[in-house]
Amino acid sequence: MREALLSAKGVSVRFGGLLAVDAVDLDVHAGEMVGVIGPNGAGKTTFFHALSGVLVPTAGRIVVAGDDLTGKPAHAYALHGVARTFQTPRVFKDMTAVQNVRFGLEFAGRTRQHAHDAFDDPVAILDFLGLAGAASVPAGGLTPSRQRLLEIGMALGARPRVLLLDEVAAGLTHAEVDATAQLIRRVRDELGLAVVWIEHAVRVLMNYVERVAVLHQGAKIADGDARAVARDAAVIEAYLGEDGASQRRVA
Amino acid sequence: MAFWFELVATGLITGGIYALVALGLNLQYGLMRIMNISHGEFLMLGAYLTWLGHTVLGVNPLAFLPAVALALFVLGVAVYWLCFRRIVRTAPAVEVIEARSLLVGFGLLFLVQNAAYLMWGADLRGYSFLAEPIEIGGARLMANRLVIFAFAVGASLLLLALLRWTLIGKAVRAMMQSPVGAQLVGIDTRVLHPLVFGLGLAMAGVAGALLSMVYEISPGMGEPYTVTALIVIVLGGLGSALGSLLGGFLLGLVEAFGMHFTSLSLKMLLSYAVLIGVLLARPKGLFAR
Amino acid sequence: MTRRDSMLATLTAALALSALPWLMSDFALALTLTCLMYAGLAVSWAMFCGATNYLSLATAAFFGMGAYVTAWGADGLPYGVAVLLGGLTAAAFAALVGAAVLHLRGAYFAVITFGLGELVRHAITYYEKAYAGTVGRVIAEPPEAIPIYFAVLLLTALAVLAALAVRSSRLGLALRGIGSDEERARTLGVNTRREKIVAFSLSAFFAGALGAAMAVRWTYIDPLTVFNPFIGFQTVLIAMVGGAHTILGPIVSALLFSLLTEFLRLQFPYLFLSLLGLLLILLVLYLPGGLASLIDRWRLGARWRRWKTDA
Repeated sequence: MREALLSAKGVSVRFGGLLAVDAVDLDVHAGEMVGVIGPNGAGKTTFFHALSGVLVPTAGRIVVAGDDLTGKPAHAYALHGVARTFQTPRVFKDMTAVQNVRFGLEFAGRTRQHAHDAFDDPVAILDFLGLAGAASVPAGGLTPSRQRLLEIGMALGARPRVLLLDEVAAGLTHAEVDATAQLIRRVRDELGLAVVWIEHAVRVLMNYVERVAVLHQGAKIADGDARAVARDAAVIEAYLGEDGASQRRVA
Repeated sequence: MAFWFELVATGLITGGIYALVALGLNLQYGLMRIMNISHGEFLMLGAYLTWLGHTVLGVNPLAFLPAVALALFVLGVAVYWLCFRRIVRTAPAVEVIEARSLLVGFGLLFLVQNAAYLMWGADLRGYSFLAEPIEIGGARLMANRLVIFAFAVGASLLLLALLRWTLIGKAVRAMMQSPVGAQLVGIDTRVLHPLVFGLGLAMAGVAGALLSMVYEISPGMGEPYTVTALIVIVLGGLGSALGSLLGGFLLGLVEAFGMHFTSLSLKMLLSYAVLIGVLLARPKGLFAR
Repeated sequence: MTRRDSMLATLTAALALSALPWLMSDFALALTLTCLMYAGLAVSWAMFCGATNYLSLATAAFFGMGAYVTAWGADGLPYGVAVLLGGLTAAAFAALVGAAVLHLRGAYFAVITFGLGELVRHAITYYEKAYAGTVGRVIAEPPEAIPIYFAVLLLTALAVLAALAVRSSRLGLALRGIGSDEERARTLGVNTRREKIVAFSLSAFFAGALGAAMAVRWTYIDPLTVFNPFIGFQTVLIAMVGGAHTILGPIVSALLFSLLTEFLRLQFPYLFLSLLGLLLILLVLYLPGGLASLIDRWRLGARWRRWKTDA
């Protein structure tokens, strides 16, 4: 069993009286694409905050490539190869798209090499994402969906080993989602990244990931093969009234 | 024994004023992310208004308190509309609101303080009020100090009661916890923000009015209180009204004892040391849950 | 302008300005001196605060500290050494304070730096009274006007060069990231705390050195004169009017303001200061980017936003 690139062990995050993340375990390996799904408020984004060092977990450990980074500041995670996007795209609005991508290369990406040289050039990264035309446009002037793509570019600029994507498909058409997912797949294949992908639109995710973890009220209630999880009774019940009902019809 | 009692009393009396000033700032910053650096200047205005009321109109300063509170409240609403509302409306992010309102506050500080210098000059002014000593258990305390302590605590408790039991108070607390949620329930920030801002300045004004009964006043008197208010907020925890009250007393006591054992001029060093200490040890405040 | 061109322009201007003492009257020279001082203060202030959008009100504290280094070293310490030491002392102090409070919210940082001026003033007053047994100090043999002029000119030129160097360096990029979205910058590998402390200290160095350099112009130094809050306020105002995100803006603005100040401040001090306060308020509300943003918009029309983002 090869070693996990990113390993969360018993991670809990508590805000005052609210337990947002409840003792979640998750192991992600190089080359894997893992989806994280769950109803609204399940704690998915909070879990990501813990995985990227933005929040310090109240309990549990986070190990990246063998190094225990629990409690360390976010930049330590970035320097270890954890890159992420945010639920609402957070780009540097006053900088051009190119400068946004270059930012990661200057800092987090400085100490590592990409498996593929092609991703060392910000312009090439933008080209790969279909944003070449917007290179000199201030990021604040891009549409939200293009900002989401740019965020992926920024994350790639950081030369990550682990890519955390938070709802990159939100607001996109089916064709756009498909294109984006293909992109992510290609990145994963060429660079051997571990990709963790939160998606609220479950149907979308199921078609592209091999493995799915389900969070419900902060706790992990399922983790395994995408199709098997889709049929899991507990998962369906968690989603009852939302996607769950229609999933049952599909399955 | 009497000596220690006097020392503690001095600390609490000063602390009561600190609490009052801090409460106002806490509300404003906690609710709107507006840190009004000129907060102390409105304390000064309250002091001058009271002084004018007493020396020109012959009104008892205590009786004048509600007038001062009202005047500063109205002024606060006006200041909010003129200076801060635009920032809250046009800023792209919360950090920008904070950054811009700091600068505006800085400008306000110079505007208000120098306008006061212009109007009343730099000389110290004052009046005498209840300057008779009272004996309590062997200790001698000035009557006016006891009076301002009572009123400072009273005003603070009034505000705490307002926050806890009135509808407006609950709206404020709701907004501080969840701005979006509160708005969804129908709480109108356009009404609440100026109201709270005015309330904050009113409290500063009352603190200034009380101070004028004991100390001499000058246009620069308010400045140190802004920094002290922040230290109290850090001590007591941002957003916690009770924390500001307790933190104020604590700081007052620390200063009183500290100054006695070291020196009067090291007061600021002491307060800063307390600030750094709390920031390092308990960043969320001493009384935070 | 490329960085190299800007730096060359700065050196050329400095060279040209160094001829002034022999061309100007004493009064005009004094005016130029004040102007240079404010340019140096504003540029070094903007170096940290312009990019990161943090409001530091500690300029008065650093300036005063530097002045006291000169005062304490008055007999024995060569002028140049005092100036350097003044800068280093301020920088060290800034690093200490920065390490303690720069990770806090911007609002806390602003108020804490606001109180620093008073804090340092009280501390020095106490020390002077308790240990040196004095209230003020006299500088018995101040340097001539020309060495003072050259010291300030050199410091200001260095401040501009430093600002140019920082702006196009990784530090500058990190600072801009911090100003744009600090948490985002952290997730991309920026050690925000360290970079802020470095930039804050660098900025403080110049404020302290300028304080040390200018101190000799007052023959009698006491805490009240030297820790003058007006210097801090003027620095912020000048930088904001010029445009805190630029380097040229504060320089031009310093020129404008020094002329204004000299004539108006002494005549109508309180009225003038009130109006300056009002000016800052109006500026932040209606033109937060300062004159520089106005010029950008006028000069480049539709292209102004793209220009604004060039490194």
